[in-house]
Amino acid sequence: MLGAVPDSRVLDSLQRVTDAALAHLSQEDLLAELLRRITEILGTDTAAILLLEPGGTILRARAAMGIEEEVRRGVRIPVGRGFAGRIAAERRAITIDDVDHADILNPILREKGIRSLLGVPMMVEGRVLGVLHVGSLTRRIFTPDDGDLLQLAADRAALAIERAHLDDQRRLAEALQRRLLPEDLPVIAGLELASAYLPASGESLGGDWYDAFELGGGRIVLAVGDVVGHGPAAAAVMAQLRAALRAYAVEDHPPAGVVERVNTLMWQLGPTAMTTLAYLVLDPTQETLELVNAGHPPPLVVSPAGVADYLPLQGTMALGASTVARYHSETYPFVTGSTVVLYTDGLVERRGASIDDGLERLRVIVEATADVDSLVSTIISRMVPEKTADDIAVIAARLPPLPDELVSQWPADRDVLASVRRLLRRWLRTRGASEEETYDITVACQEACANAVEHAYGPGGRSFDVEAVHREGRIRLTVRDGGHWRAPRGTNRGRGLPLMRALMETVDVQHGEHGTVVVLERTLARAS
Amino acid sequence: MRALAKLVEDTEGDVPVAAIEGEIDASNVADLGQRLRALLTNRSESLVVDLVTTTYIDSAGINLLFELAAELHQRQQRLYLVVAVRSPIERMIGITGLVNAVPVHPTRDAALRDAGAPAP
Repeated sequence: MLGAVPDSRVLDSLQRVTDAALAHLSQEDLLAELLRRITEILGTDTAAILLLEPGGTILRARAAMGIEEEVRRGVRIPVGRGFAGRIAAERRAITIDDVDHADILNPILREKGIRSLLGVPMMVEGRVLGVLHVGSLTRRIFTPDDGDLLQLAADRAALAIERAHLDDQRRLAEALQRRLLPEDLPVIAGLELASAYLPASGESLGGDWYDAFELGGGRIVLAVGDVVGHGPAAAAVMAQLRAALRAYAVEDHPPAGVVERVNTLMWQLGPTAMTTLAYLVLDPTQETLELVNAGHPPPLVVSPAGVADYLPLQGTMALGASTVARYHSETYPFVTGSTVVLYTDGLVERRGASIDDGLERLRVIVEATADVDSLVSTIISRMVPEKTADDIAVIAARLPPLPDELVSQWPADRDVLASVRRLLRRWLRTRGASEEETYDITVACQEACANAVEHAYGPGGRSFDVEAVHREGRIRLTVRDGGHWRAPRGTNRGRGLPLMRALMETVDVQHGEHGTVVVLERTLARAS
Repeated sequence: MRALAKLVEDTEGDVPVAAIEGEIDASNVADLGQRLRALLTNRSESLVVDLVTTTYIDSAGINLLFELAAELHQRQQRLYLVVAVRSPIERMIGITGLVNAVPVHPTRDAALRDAGAPAP
């Protein structure tokens, strides 16, 4: 084997290693397999790969054969010193015929009784990734041909490591981004939500991001942002932005306070953490939108009559650009039947066309569409060319008119009671109920719903229905569950039924085999 | 997380005062009950619960107040309520008879005077 010439069989052998690695091997398995082949081809006793640490000044042992302790002990060699350190610094092969008379930093090499060493740099596109070295327990003069062969192996290994590293980075970033966009939008009774995300052509990862979640009081947050940059770094910023936004939002800071806190955090994360953000709080009860805009294109609102207008620009800075930036919220009316569309600039920017043209095209498109699902798909199909240079995020919300007959289904969980209340209040108000009537009817309905939640035992009892019907000034509420009515137990129970009777004109409770049905009726005084 | 109600605690002299801001229903009543009970010490003679900023109460909340009144009574303590005049809360405590079981006042000062706290 001495003076081995890289014949075709040897090259094939190396080729096979690296090909296999590209397909499925982890980096660790790839390096181990590579070392096994190299020791076999060169007939050496040991082999080791040290890779440059991120800072570029330290080599760390990552794989070894015959001297496995190197990896276990995490041997670290400064670039420029010792055998491996000099190879990395000088970017050339180095041979040591007799270890006893050489500058060796790594004690393991001596402990193992290695006599002769050959090492080469691992390089990709002129960058040093690490060092590959082989050793012999008996004295051996490594030839230039040995060096060439080892260099060939090192080059292939470097390429494979680089590809694996880039693949890892891409996979990580993709996984991150998938986690960063909500898998499912929240399902909120009395609100329609739809969204879309499109990566830029040829790239799987951009900096666009959106989120939607509920706040207390039945309010809903819609947020869209565009993080500066691409790839894992942008994804990491997105992750922190998403978490921070949700955390500050549930603490119930006012919207401008939430955005200012996120700004401070972005600033602290360093100069690469910059993002635009449109932060919008939709209140279905008050029928308002509260917007804080940090350097983001303005949201678009479509009135019930189908007239679309952009909300005024607030002229504020992107987040992370300045610690002294102050953010303000503006509140706009958002009456039942309205739609709001948030998007990122990729949707309205076209090479060779002004952004105003894009904004105007979007405005005209949304005026012609009713429900949010078809709205978002129409926007995507009409606004987005086959190849986009930038990624695109769109999220739309609509407050649909509540019909005279409103049917809703709810999980049998106490936490939904507040949502049932809010939907019913909104429905009652649009039916012309006074504040007092709205309160009384809501309480009566809640008593029936709370019973349904408490009685929801066993199969089929995990949800309940609320049906509200308005006919000629008369309100009829029907609450159905799949459970069995339980006689109230304990002293301070059983006030629900008397309360319903006091608040409504008629209360009818039917216990059937398949559950309980409560029907409540009351005539509105102001009804015409 | 999504807090329906906020408990704002205060003390006037030896009398703990708790204002319930927001909505009380079956989902948060147990938590509110615990926090109200935690305000009482062995030395407390009374507890004032201020419902002026309460925007919603149904039988779940009413039951809690009945329970609390009974517990306090057993320990020779007393529950006082502050309820705004002509508010929905006033209607609810009227319909359920809570108004006959617990002293109810239209203002916090009136409740504190009744509870024997020194004038603020």
